[in-house]
Formats: sequence, structure tokens, C-alpha cells
Amino acid sequence: MELEQKAAQTVEKKVRTLEFKNISKAFPGVQALDDVSFTAVGGKVLALLGENGAGKSTLLKILSGDIPCDEGQILLDGEPLALTSPNKAINLGISVIYQERQLIPSMSVMENIFLGALPVRSGFVSYKELKAQTQAIIDEFGLPIDPTVPVAALSIAHQQMVEIMKAYRRNSPVIAFDEPTAPLTDKEIDILFGLIKRLKEEGKIIIYVSHRMKEIFQITDEIVVLKDGKFVTKLNTSETNEQELIKAMVGRDIGDTYANLSRNDKYGDVVLEVNNLTTYAVHDVSFKLRKGEVIGLAGLVGAGRTEVVRAIFGADPIISGEIKLEGKPVKFKTPRDAINAGIALCPEDRKEQGLILWAPITHNVSLPVLKKLKKFLFLDAKAEDDLTLGAIQQYSIKTPTLDKKVLELSGGNQQKVILGRWTSKLVTTKVLILDEPTKGIDVGTKAEIYQMVCDFAKQGIGVIFISSELTEVINVADTIYVMHNGRITGSVKREEATEENVLALAMLE
Amino acid sequence: MNNLTRTSLVKRLVRTQAFSLLILLVAMILIFTALAALKGARFFTAKTFIGILQDIAVPGFLAIGAGCLIVSGNIDLSQATVGALSGIVIAIGISWWGLPWYVAVLIAMLFAAAIGLINAILINEIGMAPFIATMAMAAVIRALMQLLATDSGGALQSTVTFTDPALTTIGGYNIIGDIPMTIVIVVVAFIIYGIILKKTELGRSIYMIGGNRRAARLSGINSKGIIYFLYINCSVLGGISGLAYTARAKQGSLQALSGDQFTGLTAAILGGISFAGGSGGMGGAFLGLVVLKTFYKGMLIVGSSTYLTLVLSGTLLILALSLDVWSQRRQRKRLGI
Ligand SMILES: Nc1ncnc2c1ncn2[C@@H]1O[C@H](COP(=O)(O)OP(=O)(O)OP(=O)(O)O)[C@@H](O)[C@H]1O
Ligand SMILES: [Mg+2]
Repeated sequence: MELEQKAAQTVEKKVRTLEFKNISKAFPGVQALDDVSFTAVGGKVLALLGENGAGKSTLLKILSGDIPCDEGQILLDGEPLALTSPNKAINLGISVIYQERQLIPSMSVMENIFLGALPVRSGFVSYKELKAQTQAIIDEFGLPIDPTVPVAALSIAHQQMVEIMKAYRRNSPVIAFDEPTAPLTDKEIDILFGLIKRLKEEGKIIIYVSHRMKEIFQITDEIVVLKDGKFVTKLNTSETNEQELIKAMVGRDIGDTYANLSRNDKYGDVVLEVNNLTTYAVHDVSFKLRKGEVIGLAGLVGAGRTEVVRAIFGADPIISGEIKLEGKPVKFKTPRDAINAGIALCPEDRKEQGLILWAPITHNVSLPVLKKLKKFLFLDAKAEDDLTLGAIQQYSIKTPTLDKKVLELSGGNQQKVILGRWTSKLVTTKVLILDEPTKGIDVGTKAEIYQMVCDFAKQGIGVIFISSELTEVINVADTIYVMHNGRITGSVKREEATEENVLALAMLE
Repeated sequence: MNNLTRTSLVKRLVRTQAFSLLILLVAMILIFTALAALKGARFFTAKTFIGILQDIAVPGFLAIGAGCLIVSGNIDLSQATVGALSGIVIAIGISWWGLPWYVAVLIAMLFAAAIGLINAILINEIGMAPFIATMAMAAVIRALMQLLATDSGGALQSTVTFTDPALTTIGGYNIIGDIPMTIVIVVVAFIIYGIILKKTELGRSIYMIGGNRRAARLSGINSKGIIYFLYINCSVLGGISGLAYTARAKQGSLQALSGDQFTGLTAAILGGISFAGGSGGMGGAFLGLVVLKTFYKGMLIVGSSTYLTLVLSGTLLILALSLDVWSQRRQRKRLGI
């Protein structure tokens, strides 16, 4: 009798559905979404795929109640949702983890996670309870995070995990992730994927946006491809392959990215020599970079890769050690000195350290070369436009005007603006440092960036390439230096590098 | 792709806050004209507009300095006090110390520059918040003024008069009728600073620092150096406005510019130079100042009391600030960030 009832209940418990119906949205100068319709179902992970600016984030922002759509509806289990504000959407059971972090940096981890739902005892926030509940979630994730420290004190990867915990805590039936793994490394990605599998088993509706093909095949069940704001196709992950997907996204074949690279094989003299470099975060780091060589820095988040290049660039103080540029010892007090000496650093955190979000693309691209844009006393607007146009064409940045504010661009296009800044024709570099340059960039453009790195090498520039995507570093760099806990634990040549031997060095105890 | 251009100039102009201000100004003139007519007074006369121009001349320098600083995401609350100090120094220099006027002026400007330098050191090197550092500086300057204005008999002189034909002739020089020469200088200064901000490397750097100081530094902008420059510039402009006041009033006064404590700031914010940094320009700041002074003049003509006008002008500052915050929020919301 009881058993029968239970059986009846499970049958009745229908699979949940989230239907996007004829969604359209225009921004000044762009049709970001054009009559998009598809349905996501519970218990499956649906990937949303498309080039930079295809409209993925816009769709998720509409889902989260952040911006209204011009036309169309979203229905949960057949019921139209009134998504008039983020708060409303959360109450309707929708959690979206944005591409850009939304945490309050000065507030503690626990306050951020429980923002809007702080446990209250007789009118006051109960910090004891708050801490206990947060600790429980952190333990579930298995992360070494202190619930009481301000979010600003965490690494970017851990900040992202806090963002994910915040959404997880709400236990919503619909969870959407917009490029969640961009700031993560393998360890956190494993945790995240474990979580997604569990959520999937619980029957939740999961939407997943990423430019990393490997992940798409690893955890998604269905794939929706968007192009220029239009729905292209919906496929089952198990029945498709990378080539087919790329063709649907880009509209043409791009072939094997790595095998087709035309590399540089002639090295010149040593251009940059780092001896026993020690700062607050790195210890005793030494390496040599030759003209025309591409060095990769691999390692887990927090391994100290960014800190090494910041020290070289004069952005962080050096405690001891020596840096030589073309054989001459140099001491850069500020990034300005480093730039004048011919070093360019394209930073990893585009929002904090890279872009002037409220300024137009033109101003962002010309920033390090203002001196060279001078005509008599004044900046030459024509030359600045040319420079910007060059960057826009080189990286196919999607924008209706030259002077669109950078914050109105899609995430990937923002990243392209920083690349454009540091690789423009007026930047004269001897050493080009790229810190996570392909973060948030679509597959087509990624291939172009790898080729561009090789082209720079051919011109005799020494390149330092940092990436958390292992496949990428070991295929693009000539020599891969692996870091762990602020030290270099070993180096491998590309011919000998495998994900296994690099990872082993990265996790060395 | 090849024919991508900038947004057209007309579109850009219409989008600026200065453009809305222009509309506000026209509306204000119409309203005051009507109100004055009801009260049997007259607003729309040459005298009114000449009066407004006279009122703009002195605080104009304040608005320029404050505007540039706010673009970079900084602020100076001691600027008007520096103006008063510079007036006192000039008056005392001439009448008590017997210095030639240009030496007195030079000393006053050195005082102003030194104060700007100290402000910048407190903010750049010690790491104080700009508004705390400069507010404390304003208190120090006020005390310093009183110290200076205490005569040999030990009595505090709240005004110090002086006679110097050269200086007062320059200060009181009018072009066509009662329009002071100073207004021409102010307008020219607005134009020069406007060009510096929009067309030169220095100006661009100021915007970029205001937009994101860390990113600007990592792109090789000498942000520290530029902030030194901006505080000194702001302070010296404060000093110049004190000079303009003193030369015209023929006296230095502890109370000089006290009504213009926040004028530079309000004008800049009204004109669309956001506290968030990185936006707005000199055209807006100038219009902001015109709007502000037209408002005072109008209130005076329609017969409001000085105190009511003061209350209302304070309210205007709060209004301008709220508008600034509100429009920032609205934009962020529209962009979904
Ligand atoms: N607030 C905005 N104002 C103006 N245009 C916008 C705004 N937000 C997005 N757009 C435009 O809408 C288009 C779609 O952007 P969206 O962010 O959805 O792309 P995306 O698919 O998420 O790309 P990415 O992979 O780069 O993150 C882009 O052309 C972008 O420039
Ligand atoms: Mg996006």
C-alpha cells in the first residue's frame, strides 16, 4: 500500500521544463537576440554555445531578471515567468552565476553567500549560525576557505567558488552558469563538475555556457548553438563532435588548431633572464627567455604565475633576485619603466586591472601608446581611430562603433580589447607577457590568438604565455615551466610535454 | 567592418549631461522671467546677465580646478579656503609688509601651491582619503589665516584693506560697461583646460586614472605624478580666484569666498563630472556654474531672502549629487552590471 503510493508519486513527479519562447532583445546598434526558442529539461545539462557576442550572456541576463527582453517569454513547467527583477527571478527559482563576479569584496564570505537570507535570531543576524551554515556548505565543496574573511582576500578562483556556493545555497530548480570555469583550475573544476552531476541527478534544470570544448563534452547532455543572436541548432552531445559544433558556431571549418600552427623555429639571444627572483609570493624563480621563444607558465591557481610576471613588469616589489633584459640588469620601479624598456603585460583580470570599463574602445586600445599618438601637443584622433580599427579587425571584435563603451561589449570581446591594446602596431615589445589571454574567447578566435603568438615569436619577440588550460599551454609554448607554491618545480619541452607530466609537477608536494 | 566610425558628434553632444543642462538653463530663465513679472520685478535684463557674469568670474577658477580633480576620481575641499588665504596674504603683504604687489601675489601663489603639494602627499604617500585630508587641510588654513591676520597689537583683523593702484586697476578693469575683465580670463581658462582634458595626453591620462587607476598604472600612466599635478593645480586655481576677488574688492577677508565653499564642486557635478571619476568635461562644468549663479540671481530678484537662497543652494548640491548617483545606477542597471 505504502509502496504503491510512493511509486505513484514518482510517476507523477514530472520532468521539469524551462522553455525560451521567441526571445528578442536589441541594444543600440546590435540585435543581441533574435527570436530565440528552445527548451531545457530537468535532469539534463544544456550547453549554450556560440561565438563572442552571440548573445549567450544576454539570454542569461534576461533569465535572471536583470534586463527585460523586447519580445518573447520564458516558461517554467508551462507557466510564464514574470521576470521583472533579479529578486523576483530568485524567488521564482532561478539562480544565475554571471560571467562577471557579483560579490561584495569588502564583505565576508558568509555574508556574501547568505546575502538576502541572513539567519536572524530575535531581530539580529546570528553570526554563529551564519558561520556554521556557511562552513557546512564549504565542507560539502571540500575547499579550504575561511567563512569569516572578506571576499577580497580570496584568490579569484575561490571568489568564483563562493559565487557558485551562493547560488547552490538557494537550492533553485533552475541554475545557469555563464563561463564558470574561466577563473578556475582543474581542482576547482573537478569540484564544480561533481556538483553539477549531483544537481543533475536531483532533476534540476542546468544551463552551462563555456568556450571550452572539452568541458562541453565532459558534462553536458544537450547543446544549443547561437550565432549572431539567432538560434542555429539543438544537438545531443553524445551524437555530435567538436568539428560539427565549431562549424555550427563559426559557420566554417577551422581544422586542427594546434597541428595547423605555423611556428617559429629560430631562436636568437637571450632577451630576458630572471635569476633567483623572490617576492612576497614567489621564491627563487629563475629562467631564461630567448628571442623568438614562447615560454609557457603552467600551474594551479595560486601557484604564483601571475606574481612572477607582475614582479618582472615592475608592478610588485622585488625582495631579492635579478632581472636582465638583453644582458643588462634592470630594476623597474613601476610598470611605466618596464613598458618603456619594451615589456608588455596583458593582465589576467580584465575588469580590475585591464579595462577602463566606462571609457570607449578607442581610449582603451591607445592607453599605453598615447605618447606615440601625439601630433604636436595634441592626440591625433585619426591615428587613434586607425589603431583601434586595427585591433577590431585583427581580433574581429564585435561592435557597431569605434567608440562604444567597453562595458557594453560581451565578455569575450572585452578580452579582445585588452589583447588589442597590448599587441597593437604601436607597442614596441621585446618581451610580450600574456596572462590568461584566451579567457572567455571563442574557439575561432582562440586559434587566431595562438597563431598570433607564433607570429610574434617569428618577429624575434620573446613571449611568456600563462594559461590554466593545460592543453593550451603545452601545445602553444616551446618550453613549459611548471610552478607550485611560488616555486618553479620543473620544465618540459613541448615535444615531451603531456598533461600527466605537467600536472605531476604542478601538484608536487 | 572597414567603415566603422565614431559615434557622430551631434549624437555625442546630445547625450552629454551638459546638453540637458542647457535645456534646464533655458527653462530656468523662462521661469524666473515669469515669476519676476508676477512680483513686479524684472529678470530678463542686461543688468541681470552682467550680474551673473560678475558672479561667475571668481568661482570660475574654482570650478576648473575642482572639475579636473573630480575627473580623476579625487576631490579637494580646501580649495575655496586657499582662495581666502591667498587674498589675506596679498592684502597683508602689500599693506603690512610693504611688498610690491607682484611679490605679494607670488608669495600667495607659492602658499597655494605648497598647500596643494601637501594635500597630494597626504593622499599619495600617506594614503589618506582625499576628502578627509583636504577637509583637515581646510581647518588648518582657516587657523593659519587668523594667525596671519592678527596685527602687531594682537587684534584679529577680519578684513585687511590695501591700496595699490596697479593691482586694483587690473582687478577692477571692465570691458564694455560693467563686464569685468576677469570673466574673459575665466572663459579662456575654461577653454584651455577643456582642450587639455579632451585633446592632450595629460588630459586623457586624467580620465583613465579616474576610470580605473590600477589599470591605468599597469598601462604605464604616471598616475602618482598626475595626481600631484592635479592637487597643486586645483590649489593654485583656488589661489587665483582669491587674487581675482581681492583685486576687485581691494581687501583681503577671512570670509572671502565662504559662500563659494562648494560652488566649484557643485558646478562640476551639475555639469556631468561624476564623482565616480572618468567622465564629464569643462563645458559641462562651465554650464553648471552658469546654472548655479543664474539660480542665485533669479532667487534674489524674485525676492527670496539670503538665507532661503543658501538653504536652496545647499539643496541644489544635494540634488546634483543624487542625480549623479542616480544616473550612475540607472546606467549600470541598463547595462546589467
Ligand atoms: N549593455 C549593453 N549595451 C549594448 N550592447 C550590449 C550590451 N550588452 C551586450 N551587448 C551586445 O550584445 C551582443 C551579445 O552580447 P552577449 O554578452 O550576450 O554575448 P555572449 O554570447 O555572452 O559573448 P561572450 O562569449 O563574449 O561572453 C554583443 O554584440 C554585445 O556587444
Ligand atoms: Mg558572455
